[in-house]
Amino acid sequence: MSETGKIVRQALIIGAFSVLLAAAAHFPLLKRFAMGEFRETFLSQAEYPGIRLITLQETEDLWAAGETAFFDARPERPFREGHVPRARNLPATDSKLKIPPDLLELPRERTIVVYCEGGDCQSSLALAKRLHDEGFKDIRVMTGGWEEWEKAGLPEEKGDDQE
Amino acid sequence: MIKNKTLLVVFRLVLGGLFIYAGVVKVLDPLDFAQNIRNYRLVGQSLSFIAAIVLPWLEILAGVALAAGIWKRASALIISGLLVFFILLTLVTIARGLDVDCGCFGALSRKSGFGVILEDLGMLFMGLSLLFAPGKR
Repeated sequence: MSETGKIVRQALIIGAFSVLLAAAAHFPLLKRFAMGEFRETFLSQAEYPGIRLITLQETEDLWAAGETAFFDARPERPFREGHVPRARNLPATDSKLKIPPDLLELPRERTIVVYCEGGDCQSSLALAKRLHDEGFKDIRVMTGGWEEWEKAGLPEEKGDDQE
Repeated sequence: MIKNKTLLVVFRLVLGGLFIYAGVVKVLDPLDFAQNIRNYRLVGQSLSFIAAIVLPWLEILAGVALAAGIWKRASALIISGLLVFFILLTLVTIARGLDVDCGCFGALSRKSGFGVILEDLGMLFMGLSLLFAPGKR
């Protein structure tokens, strides 16, 4: 066999061993995946019991009841162009997101809804995790995001944070 | 082409060590790494999960083989291939204007950007030097 062929074959063997080791080492995790976990998010329910994903309908109900704190995880500019009324902008694209001190004074039992652009956006999840780390116990991630809210023709607010 | 044997050994140990380290931190927190992959918004949930499970082990095995001097060229080939992939991925991410953590070294990760590309290019230089080093194959 040629030298190149030999090198490629060896590389494939290393690849195959990686798959085997991965399957063996993460067997419990793979089992959970096979059972249907992690299909929507990689949040481990055991690790983040306070985070739930919600639909537009649930979001709207919470918003209409007016008791829930809304946080918009998108960057400042899209937030200014339109957001869920009463939502506060907490851009979560930065991994070292700082939670403003006044927010930390909120009761930890308060229901919080977070959202981002929608579709494939991930920053609302990052924000949810961050808030969970701060001890908040009821965080809901609106998976449809701004896109769905806007498309449904729900109320909008423009401009900077009111606070 | 680099012919200095000592330098090539240093390259093997440094590059192998870096890949072992990068792999181990990801093996310790596969869900976090899966989320990292997902953040790039290129592949879906299931593929992100599978990649997050397998990729770290590939990094570890190739790193161990390279550092130990077993199947040097094959491991250098895998590592160089991964680096080329990481560089392309980072370029695409910059072009799309996405703001994500690179996910390279677990908690030590930085923003995906030109710094990451420079780092990868440095490692790729070592990888290719080893892949095409003269001498016994």
